[in-house]
Amino acid sequence: MISRARIAAAGLFALAIWHVVLPEAAAQTPARQPAPPGAQVYFHYPVDGLSVPERFTVRIGLRGMGVAPAGINHARTGHHHLLIDTDPGPPDQPIPSDYNNIHLGNGQTEVVVTLPKGRHTLQLLLGDHNHTPHNPPVMSPKITVNVR
Amino acid sequence: MLRIAPALLLLGLAVAIPLAGASAQERARQRSPAPAAARLSFVGLADKAQVPAKLTVRFAISGMEVVPAGQAARNGGHHHLLIDTELPPLDQPIPSDFNHIHFGGGQTEAEIALTPGKHTLQLLFADHNHVPHDPPIVSERITVEVPAAPAEKPRSAAAPGARVFFIDLQDGATIPSRAKIRFGTEGITVTPAGTASPNGGHHHLLVDTELPALDREIPSDFNHLHFGRGQTEVELSLPPGEHTLQLLLGDHEHVPHDPPVVSPRIRVRVVGEAQASVAAPPQSHAHGAGRARTASPNDAAVYFVYPRDGDRIYPTSTIRFGLRNMGVAPAGIAKPNTGHHHLLVDTEPPAFGEPIPADLNHIHLGGGQTEYKLTLPNGRHTLQLLLADENHVPHDPPVISERITVTVAPGGPHARRRR
Repeated sequence: MISRARIAAAGLFALAIWHVVLPEAAAQTPARQPAPPGAQVYFHYPVDGLSVPERFTVRIGLRGMGVAPAGINHARTGHHHLLIDTDPGPPDQPIPSDYNNIHLGNGQTEVVVTLPKGRHTLQLLLGDHNHTPHNPPVMSPKITVNVR
Repeated sequence: MLRIAPALLLLGLAVAIPLAGASAQERARQRSPAPAAARLSFVGLADKAQVPAKLTVRFAISGMEVVPAGQAARNGGHHHLLIDTELPPLDQPIPSDFNHIHFGGGQTEAEIALTPGKHTLQLLFADHNHVPHDPPIVSERITVEVPAAPAEKPRSAAAPGARVFFIDLQDGATIPSRAKIRFGTEGITVTPAGTASPNGGHHHLLVDTELPALDREIPSDFNHLHFGRGQTEVELSLPPGEHTLQLLLGDHEHVPHDPPVVSPRIRVRVVGEAQASVAAPPQSHAHGAGRARTASPNDAAVYFVYPRDGDRIYPTSTIRFGLRNMGVAPAGIAKPNTGHHHLLVDTEPPAFGEPIPADLNHIHLGGGQTEYKLTLPNGRHTLQLLLADENHVPHDPPVISERITVTVAPGGPHARRRR
């Protein structure tokens, strides 16, 4: 709980820095891939508020861009990340890889997840060949599912 | 879902009743009024019914309306299903736990899983704050019984003398790191998974592993390769070194037969491509007819997320693609188990040994796109998806969707839910 709060706080702080001192921040971090205007990542399944079984397939849609496996530097592409019960980190840092941040590094567009019963949040975030979000980040709204 | 329910229930009741009694006086909530004529009942589920362990329960309400939780509406509310529990205090929000299932999204049915034995089910309607109405709208409390589960999965019988074996592969053989393994059967037929047929089954190749338990489903992982479509050969990639291979037939539910139809376990030595004269390295594509094709996983599948077969669609529609057990990569990127989509419009699938042609009927999504905005003239059209490798050549076996037919009409879908 503490670590989550801390991550969230760090995220907010970084976001604030990113907005206020953008040139300095950009100078220190590797260049981020630009996202084409109108690019959008979204859930085919599940949708917000849905009740789902413990084991279900998350299906991912992507508009205005293509999918490429991690490590492939190709314009207008990225690979999907599924964020479970967590907030996105600072947009200029690589997306962490852990149980809450599932990397679909082989270019997958769907993933089977198993979650304990209860309410969980899901969010999609596209990362470039270095797992760093695009500029601006291509991110879905955060949805809530009820696992029963 | 309710595996731990009995223990939880006892504990829950013991703790909840005294607590609920005390807190009921403290913070009784304002209750929403309900019309006297409102009725709540189960649909197609009678008292003392025998039900399967997993069942769909449907709810019917008359005289009131279903409104998602959180939205206050006159004569509105949402369903709660009480399993193996008494009615909760009626002037409080209904608890939310394994015994009190909320349908706050306005659902009118639910799939529940019950343990074998007797269970009680009851419906209780509640307002936007999850507090039952005044008077409470509650269904009759019914008892259902789940019959005891059979002790073990029934195993399909195999004909005596049925056997399975490797073709042209002996114990101790030396094979390249990418080799075609062929499976033979005798006295039993090969049928795809999911098709129950007497004396039939499909192959499983066990790589570097012991025989699994024979009374249950064969696991599906890198050591247990399933050939559920009835394949009788596989192009296997193995790292150099010693490996063991064994064939095991499974029935339509992937359970070995009785007696099991299993080959001897053989040892093979895998040598690198430099040492093996017959090796066909995947990168070196022979030019001209019959290019080397990239292997695809057995369980890979490509399908339409939208539209579905028979749908009516707008003249300009976004076609959305789904891909199972493989990844998407832009054209030109060689990476195992990836490919890029091709949308075939009003055309037969092309030859699988050649690059897919690029024209108006064969739309290449070489940028790794997973959807495409397509404009079509009015009328009936066929759509089909075909995945191809970095050189636009379909995989082996080809990863191809069913060919669907859609009707393009100016009005688009009629009375269809917007996606």
